[in-house]
Amino acid sequence: MIKKAAPWIFVLLVAGWLASKMMPEKPAPQGFNFVEFGKLPVLVGGRVMPMDSVARISLSLMNHHGAYEPVPHKPVPPVAWLVNVMMRPEEADQARVFEIVNPELLDLLGGSDRQDKLFAFNLFSFNEFKPFLSEIEKQAQAAEQTDAQTRNAFQREIIKLRNALLLYLRLKNSLQPEGSPDFKEEIDAFAQAVPTGMQAIQDRDAGKPFDQAAFERILQFTQRYQNLAQARYVYAFPDPAAPDATGRWQHVGEALLGTIRTRRVEPAVGFYATLISAYRQGDAAGFNAAVSNYQNYLRRTVPGELNRPDLEAWFNHAAPFLQAMVLYVLVFICAVLSWLFWPRTLARVAGWLLLLAFVLHTGGLITRMYLQGRPPVTNLYSSAIFVGWGAVLLCLFLERIYRNGIGNVCAATAGFVTLLIAYNLQLDGDTLEMLRAVLDTNVWLATHVVVVALGYSSTFLAGLLGVIYVIRRLFVRSFTPELSRSLGRMIYGIVCFATLFSLVGTILGGIWADQSWGRFWGWDPKENGALLIVLWNAIILHARWGGYVKERGIALMAVFGNIITSLSWFGTNMLGVGLHSYGFMDQAFNVLIGFIAGQLVLIGIGLLPVASRGPKRPVAPLEQAGQLTK
Amino acid sequence: MIRIKTLFRPLASLKLTIICLACAMVLVFVGTLDQVHIGIYEAQNRYFKSFALFLPIPGTRFAVPWFPGGYVVGGVLLLNLIAAHLARFKFSWKKLGIVVLHAGLILMLVGQLITSIFQVESQMRLDEGERKNFSESPYFDELAITDKSQPDRDRIISIPDSDLRKGRTIQVPGTDFKVVVNDFYPNSALVNPGRLPSPAYPHLKLGPMAVAVQIPKTYKQDERNVATAAVTLLDKDQPAGSWSVSSGFPQPVNFQVGGKPFQIALQPQRYYQPFSLQLLKFRHDRYAGTDIAKNFSSQVRLVDPARKEDRELSIYMNHPLRYAGLTFYQAGYDNNDRTTILQVVQNPGRLVPYISCGLLVAGLLLQFGMHLFRFARKMQGASASAS
Repeated sequence: MIKKAAPWIFVLLVAGWLASKMMPEKPAPQGFNFVEFGKLPVLVGGRVMPMDSVARISLSLMNHHGAYEPVPHKPVPPVAWLVNVMMRPEEADQARVFEIVNPELLDLLGGSDRQDKLFAFNLFSFNEFKPFLSEIEKQAQAAEQTDAQTRNAFQREIIKLRNALLLYLRLKNSLQPEGSPDFKEEIDAFAQAVPTGMQAIQDRDAGKPFDQAAFERILQFTQRYQNLAQARYVYAFPDPAAPDATGRWQHVGEALLGTIRTRRVEPAVGFYATLISAYRQGDAAGFNAAVSNYQNYLRRTVPGELNRPDLEAWFNHAAPFLQAMVLYVLVFICAVLSWLFWPRTLARVAGWLLLLAFVLHTGGLITRMYLQGRPPVTNLYSSAIFVGWGAVLLCLFLERIYRNGIGNVCAATAGFVTLLIAYNLQLDGDTLEMLRAVLDTNVWLATHVVVVALGYSSTFLAGLLGVIYVIRRLFVRSFTPELSRSLGRMIYGIVCFATLFSLVGTILGGIWADQSWGRFWGWDPKENGALLIVLWNAIILHARWGGYVKERGIALMAVFGNIITSLSWFGTNMLGVGLHSYGFMDQAFNVLIGFIAGQLVLIGIGLLPVASRGPKRPVAPLEQAGQLTK
Repeated sequence: MIRIKTLFRPLASLKLTIICLACAMVLVFVGTLDQVHIGIYEAQNRYFKSFALFLPIPGTRFAVPWFPGGYVVGGVLLLNLIAAHLARFKFSWKKLGIVVLHAGLILMLVGQLITSIFQVESQMRLDEGERKNFSESPYFDELAITDKSQPDRDRIISIPDSDLRKGRTIQVPGTDFKVVVNDFYPNSALVNPGRLPSPAYPHLKLGPMAVAVQIPKTYKQDERNVATAAVTLLDKDQPAGSWSVSSGFPQPVNFQVGGKPFQIALQPQRYYQPFSLQLLKFRHDRYAGTDIAKNFSSQVRLVDPARKEDRELSIYMNHPLRYAGLTFYQAGYDNNDRTTILQVVQNPGRLVPYISCGLLVAGLLLQFGMHLFRFARKMQGASASAS
């Protein structure tokens, strides 16, 4: 009885643990309600996102971890750090959030003096940069003179650092001009200065006597707020009266200057001012009340802009892809162990956990599609998530057909690796970024891009099966001719799918290219990459049909397909030419080289003869060239 | 008879197919990598629209072919495909998918050949308000001689830049003129004469404020080669004048022969059309609060006197104008969003890829679909017998 129930209990425990991690966050009973603040909508990079996303994206641009950990293993919620930056900058300036990995850059910034700081000596606070700001700017400007493709590591890093510092300065000036001692008092004074000041200006223009003091006061205010225009990044202030969505969100400078026109303080400015004053005075109750009042105001005035940021804030917290990664690891362990002990029980556990992981993976994918209002693949990050999803889906079918655990192992590996890739790509900035004009067509994104991504999925899956073939072949005793044959059949089937998807996807890409810039085929690197996959899959199929390769050969060729696909997927982005390039990725380049080397080693191992035990199985008669049997 | 067979068998072999596909992979791979150095256009010419890849022998002007180019690989693959079908495939419903698929492939290869031979790409740059009845080549220049003696229309005779080589004499078609090319720079920089390293530094004088000096050819995607030529015009073998002209220096040179006014200019090669386009308004939309382009669109007026057309229309991303066998695409912008750049493509084989793609996809679906169906039946049978 217990033996039968054990797998169920285990799966339920895992599910319960997941649910507890993904439940909406509850704020601390006393103290500032950062959770609700994190949901407040703002416009950044052309889209409305919650404050929570602003915090996470900014941190990931500053230290490539997307986190602030003042004490080891005690991360501060990103949004709590953001509140400090926006409202108590003097304190945020001491937070060591900037990470420097380049040793030359570290030297430039006095890195050798920092050896005493044992914990993360390469993390800097804004204050620690202060003596170097002009040097950093000088070096960054010099580095920008060089072509983006030919910059060295130091030049790229210094530009990145300069941009991160600029971003930090902009964040500090998002809700108030940095260094305002009490923003609420300031805008009260400004509101009072406007009528008399405007009168003074009118009088002066009319050549009448005017109030000199009032004139100068309003001039000072105007200049102060106009200077804020340089810091435009977060557009936090909604203008419910705006005619269309383009002008609905204002930067603090615009919102304040609007007062001169309308003669009244924008309500949103008032709410944020109360919020800032309460926070600076340590008044948690006042802060929480102001957040809640502001939310009510937003619900009344711009109700359409709230759903997605709300959902996105939860999505950030729940991190379904991260949870799915954990599950994929569990699936892998269970599935591999099932080849050694309790085959039935463990296989069942692996199957259920895999289903759970797939549900999370799918849910995350759909949520992202809703948030962005786009088909699933819009950038490299989302392609990683989707390629993994497609591979897992194919594996579910494989496992259903063959029921030998191989599908589960492949699903776990493909799911985990692609989500790991996505996790690392995510730290390059906003993953839900707006699409550039060329890509702005849902029809082609939904067809060409999706099908090509499925082509990657299936080619990788065939390669993964090839890897399993090579590894299991090393364990001669369990590597039966039946296993070899069924792996060979699986790889062949998946290669057929891969050929179909990659060919159709490539063709759809050609049609898109013909529709949008008049050439069906332009020999662009990304197009060529897709073509290489098609050609390689075609070679595998023809070699098999001709009888030139059998199970082992097709497995090794499929492993080589991994190299082709990785080059097509990531390598082409590293070339830095063509219409499809998204930018250079250094670390990724080394990883790619390592991956390719690893695959070549596996192929080498696969080519080695293995001492076989027992009688050789009879060689099947060669299939007729060009004939499709099986 | 035996001879034909011995020739035919290797041509139809599956091994040859695999060798061709492998060669194609090498070609595509190397051709893609080299784009970093020589740009997409030059890479196309060297790797894909060529018969062989050449390796120059250092110190000499000769180069040895070391690998088949795109035409050879594609051509052999085409022959191989056709031969294989003739030799091996007998029609059966089971193989319908394969036949359709390969027919699509053959059509696609032929279509690519048609495209690479006949496709003409050019660009039309229009400032707001400007009207043009020609587009210009982004790569090639021409030496244009314009007869301005007719009051209502100009007669233009042009010589492509590929004919311009130092020391050559070219008969201008349809006239008594001959052009002697005294000097020719395939790429040049226009500088102020005062900035020459020394007065003796080789240069061609274009005007009082501009001289051209030769620089290496560029292959960068966003740069164009600026050709400069020094020419002498002979009228019935008598010198009529000598000038330096450059495609980077827009002013044509005026001269007279026998009392008739003429102009000569080196300019981007032009493609004249019987209709004109006028840019009314260019729009460049950005996402709120960013510099990320959301859309580019050109509001244009199309005037075609022959067909009595005079209408307004807009060209934007993924929404080109197709007219008179040409397609106009929104390609770029310039001049603070006041100039539009339209890509103009003429491709008589435009529909071939569509048909061949349809065949390919249909063949693949048919073949793998049948496979899957048979496989599923087999598995069902297996599981039924197991239980």
